[in-house]
Amino acid sequence: MGHAAFRLSGIVKDFPGVRALDHASLEVMPGEVHGLVGENGAGKSTVIKVLAGVYQPEAGQIEVDGQRLSPATPLSVHAVGVRFIHQELHLVPHFTVTESVFMGQERTARLGLAKREMRRAAEAFLRDALGLDLPGNRLIRDLGTAERKLVQVARALIDGEAKVVVFDEPTAPLASNEVDIVMEAIARLKAQGIAILYVSHYLSEITEICDRVTVFRQGETVGVFDTITDASAGDLVFAMVGRNITDMFPPKGSRATGRGLEISGLTDGAKFAPLSLSVGEGEIVGIAGLIGSGREEFVDTLYGLRRKTSGHVTFDGSPLHIATAAQAVKAGLVLVPRDRRHDGLVLPMTVTENATLATLEDNATAGIENRKAARTATEAQIQALDIRPPNPDAVTRLLSGGNQQKVVLARWLATSARIFIFDEPTVGVDVGAKAEIYQLIEDLAAKGACIILSSSDPVELQGVCDRIAVMTRGALVGELNAGEITVDDLVAATTGAASLAEIRDAG
Amino acid sequence: MQADAQGRRFLLELFGFLPVIIFAGVLVYISFNAPNFVTLRNLELIVMQSLPVVLVCAGLAAVVMAGGDDVVSGGIDLSIPATAVLSAGITAQMLSLGYPLLFCAAAALAASTVVGVLNALLVTRIQMTPLLTTLAMFVAVVGANNVVTASRRINVDHPWIIALRAQDVGGVPLGIVVVALVVAAAFFLLHQTRWGLNLQAAGGSRDAAEISGLNVNRFIDQSFLLAAFTGFICGFFILARGSGSSPGVQDNLMLEMVLATFLGAAFSPRRVVTMWGAVLGALLVAAISIGFKSMGVNLFWTGLIKGSLIVLVVAFSAISQRAR
Repeated sequence: MGHAAFRLSGIVKDFPGVRALDHASLEVMPGEVHGLVGENGAGKSTVIKVLAGVYQPEAGQIEVDGQRLSPATPLSVHAVGVRFIHQELHLVPHFTVTESVFMGQERTARLGLAKREMRRAAEAFLRDALGLDLPGNRLIRDLGTAERKLVQVARALIDGEAKVVVFDEPTAPLASNEVDIVMEAIARLKAQGIAILYVSHYLSEITEICDRVTVFRQGETVGVFDTITDASAGDLVFAMVGRNITDMFPPKGSRATGRGLEISGLTDGAKFAPLSLSVGEGEIVGIAGLIGSGREEFVDTLYGLRRKTSGHVTFDGSPLHIATAAQAVKAGLVLVPRDRRHDGLVLPMTVTENATLATLEDNATAGIENRKAARTATEAQIQALDIRPPNPDAVTRLLSGGNQQKVVLARWLATSARIFIFDEPTVGVDVGAKAEIYQLIEDLAAKGACIILSSSDPVELQGVCDRIAVMTRGALVGELNAGEITVDDLVAATTGAASLAEIRDAG
Repeated sequence: MQADAQGRRFLLELFGFLPVIIFAGVLVYISFNAPNFVTLRNLELIVMQSLPVVLVCAGLAAVVMAGGDDVVSGGIDLSIPATAVLSAGITAQMLSLGYPLLFCAAAALAASTVVGVLNALLVTRIQMTPLLTTLAMFVAVVGANNVVTASRRINVDHPWIIALRAQDVGGVPLGIVVVALVVAAAFFLLHQTRWGLNLQAAGGSRDAAEISGLNVNRFIDQSFLLAAFTGFICGFFILARGSGSSPGVQDNLMLEMVLATFLGAAFSPRRVVTMWGAVLGALLVAAISIGFKSMGVNLFWTGLIKGSLIVLVVAFSAISQRAR
């Protein structure tokens, strides 16, 4: 075997307060498809940015094709033939395939653009290098997602200089029948001797397409596995997760389940197939799924933020008509949104103003706000939720992430809601606040509320929920009983490493 | 479900055509009700009348292509008509003081360039929204012109300027020839060169352009300079049409410029603002203005109708954009 297409060794990268990469290493040979896996926060994106020359590491070496790059900059990395296929498509919808492929590197004739030559070259490249027959004059907005992905790949590779191609979650936005198109293209690139780094959460794809896999955990390289000989998806899951779970989670109470929330055949007609799910009173049901699984869209549709095309929702047997978020709040349904900075809080306003936004009418006489009542109500909430600093007049922007999240919760707890949807409630929240939020969710359930917890954190889902519904590629594939599975099982289910039936049998 | 989505999309696409259909309908109505509307002489009159609008539309089209066609946050330059009026005012005032024409033109070009540079600086360096920036610039530049001309009409009888209106070149009026050349050059630059394609990429998707190594702000800067240049040239056509500078031309010019440029998007196969689309749109708008005049429609009604058409055009383009 000759030398590696690229090799990162001993890479250290610090961010304020965190060591994102701790002597991480990564090596890919020419003509190899090399997988890179790890949980959220394991350092995958950081290592890609180090390779791209976007981040300068504190220590470590970057070698491409035997040549040491010091320092690596976006330009020097590009010059030695490293190309990145970003997760986002970044294409102009009204451009043609040809124009998109040659964007920024157009060929010119004596007078103006060499349009015909570029079209022929773009079509030939798509066909020969990527296995896609596509007319060069087709508009991007008329293409399917997989086709757009390959146009993006062609743009990165059309100059013929690529030696290393990094794919960052290339199949995340794709439906399952589109995945094969991208897989086929990657296999062709590999046959041309190009080194490929394949970053994905989908372990079933990793084991199918990759020759070797590097596993990252908390900024360290914990192992390099050979998928052909010695690694199964299960081994990868164990290597990724392998950690102790402290008792962050409150004990689960006994559930007196009434009929509660019943969802049947709900769909937005685009991002997720008709879906049925029930949540009894006092029950916590988790929704697990990767980016692109339709999990976020399902939550948004249930709350009236996306348009549903069919399906109906009942509470205690009586139908709920929810087409807008205002109707959802009126029906006693509450969403604690994933992006609290954008959707959840008015940051320049005070804690009191934010906490009473949903209950303005209760604290008002004839439409005029009663500030004193609002303040008193908020002070009680601050105490109950332990919001710090305990000052109802503090400006919300200045609070920490965990305390901001508690202000969002304070607002909704003040309403008489019976159904709570938590969408990634602990993203960017420190461990202590996490435990408090989990306790709060448990308390709500104990009082008989119906709770849906949508999360990308398998530990959180397994620790908090009674049941977990698993979504992959826009479909609900089944439910698991949280008490009967491990965190590894859940990771295996969402990444497609094992089917739900296999997991139930094993459990 | 698939068929449903396709049907819905088709319907939304159809909305993109509606402005053209409405305009065609209005024109057919006029041609039946206005005497001599569809005659060669009248068509020539329409083209002559449209020349100032065609020029500023070419400038606006460049700005929209570089900044994106979102009506609120995308590229727009409302100040072009004001630049045109300032260019006309400076030229007229200096001619009346006895300076030679080329000297006057150089001064007008310098003033127009200052407007373009200011627009570019405010939008790409200070990062103000183009809509607000250029609206404020419109007001300020019109004010500057009032200062220069003391807000009065100045007659111009310089033979070169009159020639733009009265001279024929092989049976075609000189003005039409000049504008055709300018438009052809702009078309080549924006649609047939690498620079033009990159400028369109900048407006089509900022992220895509930046990832491809393009300097988006530079294209936006250049589009504002190009727009100011079209305003500069337009000034001479304002002088030729009115035999001098007169205050107040800019309001109608701005209205027709915006209407024509966004109407033009309906003509392009990709439903985006293009150079040809803008020029065709300008001709259509001029045709309707003249048609209303020859039908004897009250001037106040004309404003109401044109304003409503702008609302319709912009609304339909917003609806058809949702199909994407």
